[in-house]
Amino acid sequence: MIEAKNINFYYDEFQALKNISMKMEPNSVTAFIGPSGCGKSTFLRLFNRMNDLIDNTRMEGECIVDNQNIYDKKMNVDTLRKQVGMVFQKPNPFPKTIFENVAYGLRVNDLGNKQFIQERVEESLISAALWDEVKDKLNKSAFELSGGQQQRLCIARALAVSPSVILMDEPASALDPISTLKIEELIHDLKKDYTIVIVTHNMQQAARVSDKTGFFMLGELVEYSDTKKMFLNPEKEETQNYITGRFG
Amino acid sequence: MIKNKFFKRLIEKGVEAMLTLSGAVTSIIILFMCIFLFVEGFGLFKSSTVEEGYSIYVNSENPVSELSPQELKQIFDSEVTNWKEFGGKDQAIRVYRFDEIFKTYPEEEMGEDFSILPIVLGDVVRENEGIVAFLPTDFAPEANNGIKMIPADQISFSDFFLGEEWLPTATPSPLFGLMPLLLGTLLVSLLAISIALPLGLGVAIYLSELADERTRRFMKPVIELLAGIPSVVYGFFGLVVLAPIIQKTFNLPVGETALTGGVILAIMALPTIISIAEDAMRNTPREMREASLALGATKWQTIYKVIIPYSKSGISAAVVLGIGRAIGETMAVLMVTGNGAMIPGSVFDSVRTIPATIAAELGEAPFSGPHYQSLFLLGCVLFVITMVISVASEVISKKQNYKH
Amino acid sequence: MNRKISQQIAFTLFRIFGLLVVVILFSILGFIVVNGIQVINWEFLTTAPKDGMTTGGIFPAIVGTFYLIVGSLLIAFPLGVMSAVYTNEYAGRGWIVKIIRMMTNNLAGIPSIVFGLFGMALFVNKLGFGDSILAGSLTLSVLVLPLIIRTTEEALKAVPDSFRTGSLALGATKLQTIRKVVLPTALPNIITGLILSVGRISGETAPILFTVAAYFLPHLPTSLYDQVMALPYHLYALATSGTDIEASRPMAYGTALVLIGIVLIMNLIASFIRRRLERKWKRN
Repeated sequence: MIEAKNINFYYDEFQALKNISMKMEPNSVTAFIGPSGCGKSTFLRLFNRMNDLIDNTRMEGECIVDNQNIYDKKMNVDTLRKQVGMVFQKPNPFPKTIFENVAYGLRVNDLGNKQFIQERVEESLISAALWDEVKDKLNKSAFELSGGQQQRLCIARALAVSPSVILMDEPASALDPISTLKIEELIHDLKKDYTIVIVTHNMQQAARVSDKTGFFMLGELVEYSDTKKMFLNPEKEETQNYITGRFG
Repeated sequence: MIKNKFFKRLIEKGVEAMLTLSGAVTSIIILFMCIFLFVEGFGLFKSSTVEEGYSIYVNSENPVSELSPQELKQIFDSEVTNWKEFGGKDQAIRVYRFDEIFKTYPEEEMGEDFSILPIVLGDVVRENEGIVAFLPTDFAPEANNGIKMIPADQISFSDFFLGEEWLPTATPSPLFGLMPLLLGTLLVSLLAISIALPLGLGVAIYLSELADERTRRFMKPVIELLAGIPSVVYGFFGLVVLAPIIQKTFNLPVGETALTGGVILAIMALPTIISIAEDAMRNTPREMREASLALGATKWQTIYKVIIPYSKSGISAAVVLGIGRAIGETMAVLMVTGNGAMIPGSVFDSVRTIPATIAAELGEAPFSGPHYQSLFLLGCVLFVITMVISVASEVISKKQNYKH
Repeated sequence: MNRKISQQIAFTLFRIFGLLVVVILFSILGFIVVNGIQVINWEFLTTAPKDGMTTGGIFPAIVGTFYLIVGSLLIAFPLGVMSAVYTNEYAGRGWIVKIIRMMTNNLAGIPSIVFGLFGMALFVNKLGFGDSILAGSLTLSVLVLPLIIRTTEEALKAVPDSFRTGSLALGATKLQTIRKVVLPTALPNIITGLILSVGRISGETAPILFTVAAYFLPHLPTSLYDQVMALPYHLYALATSGTDIEASRPMAYGTALVLIGIVLIMNLIASFIRRRLERKWKRN
């Protein structure tokens, strides 16, 4: 379970998020949609404290992941990030072998011995629907994979450390339609084990993969409801306009 | 009007031709460098192992009929005093230099233009079975009945490249062995890089990953200034400050050692290493860092597991260029390493590097003699080493671009 | 928590390294300044060395270095700028440019003593200039050429392409565009390179050892074919081979301070210009 309570977020003077509160259910997919610069990515990055890396930012409010306030002083950020996986916009494998990419999180967190790592890498690659394609070339460079395969590798990499939550920041925006479809299927399969939050530009994608959808605009959460309801019968006029493509 | 336009175009063409020509100026210079260095340097292999204008004679009873430059040096330095060491009879070696003749025969008795001199010298050689005489060719006795000339070889490639002694002014046969100089250069450079690399890499990491904007703005000019200080000033500083410190710390007879040179060179190589390594690390894509942190890696884990491997070609280029800077550095090294031209046994020995040798000896080497040529040959060696280094660093940093 | 500790250790170490670099710079500067400032006065700067270089001043060396700076820049600056204009504006992206760039880089990596050898073989002996200002300036100009080419190229690259297309679209020829638009825009950056070259030239010793530098020459040169004293060589001579090294030590400190002063001032001016430009670009 993820919960955000009265979140305000500032880049210097600029307020990027305005008093946002929402809950995300476990074992479901929540999608954030909205025009560029609406704050949806910023909001997503709050949940593994990725925004800490940007200078001159300030946050107010509470973020609760698995019953813990993650902005609490006692919170260990590295542990949090292990618990909350993230997949980025562009595939960003490390300049290492396929195997080492997936094993990376396990190694840096000192998880398990050699055999455990071996097994975990295989499991993760299977979960990410990549195993069959790469099982014969685990020691090849990750850069030899296609873009779609690289992105699934990044998903496998995130899965390997057994997170409970996976954040995806436009995971398919840099991919071709077929690879996109594969990622979407994957998201669907992963839902039963993980809480997934996905930011997307692509409304059809949100409609296809998510259970609930939040619509952001100018740093505000305009509407948040079941995906079906949102796309068929939105409450707010701005949502209606955005979904039917009048702006954005 | 039309004529005017024509001239204008003519001028444009002329200027363009000039520009094209000047575009090639660096290539032309390098070509010229190659020609001048190599022509002059390879002249060394045409010169004789025995000092020009002189020859070596022995008594014809002596079974030894060949002597290498090393053997000659041993004889004339009295390191070897018996012929049996070179396969001759068990007989003391009597070294005879040309000017000794004037001790036994006064100059006035030599006749007009010293015409009697060859005869007198011939007698000396004939009468002494154990003699080895070093005589000017102009006054040399004829090599027959009792007199044998030791033939002089040309200096060979292996004499130079594998030679273990650098004694360019030894008589009668100077030794031009590259080894002590090359090993000295390498020792000092490796010392420098093994100090400068961890230090420089640490500073680069600090600047690119840890320091805030204000610190960075302060550090940048510091590093630029460090790069701008002339090498002779570093040498002066090393001589007056560092050498005494090293002498006291390690309780040495003198402070001018390979280590002193290494430390000074390390300081001089630092700016190169820091700025190139920092650039490479800053070029690590943000997504890489974020991906690593998002997996729960600490900042330090991210640095050594992702950022350093990612920028390793940049870092290697930095190392290579740092070594290049160290190998080629002249003045600072000349002033602080003590300049003993021997194969170094430890870092506390005095060493002499290739550039320092050129700087120290070229002024005294007679124009176009073997010594002069050997210094140009050293220049060729340096030239080739630095060319290889430039190309290597370019290839290495290309690799990084290709990876994207 | 182990990895937190190793992070702590590593980062502390790097901070210390950073500090160490600052300490090194300031101890070198401090050492030279504190010792040198006691020697420097009007007489030191304006008279010739006396009494076996243990008293007097360094005026001939300052003048000599000045001549060498002017001489070598007169040759290297136009040549370097033209070369950079050719590679950046005319030569396109083919293999010729690649070779030219590589050669320029290689030239930059060649040790300065090799330039000295080259200068001695070509200018002093082959062309028969002897040890002279002419030979020394030519040698130094070859040495500094890659620096000028590189900074000029960077300056030219910083000129937005829209300037060029704008000018060409108005019917200007390529050469006119370069002369009237590209070069004036790039000028401040090119000047920065020029100033850095002054710093480099004034500090180089090895290339002038056998091409121009005189150990002791109290009078000033009268022609291009004269030898001169020069600051860096003078420092080397004072530090290692004076008649009375202990007695000439203060002279050495003073010379080092003047030398370092020139180099640092040049660097500061250059980075001042660069910083002002950066701010200007940012504002636009």
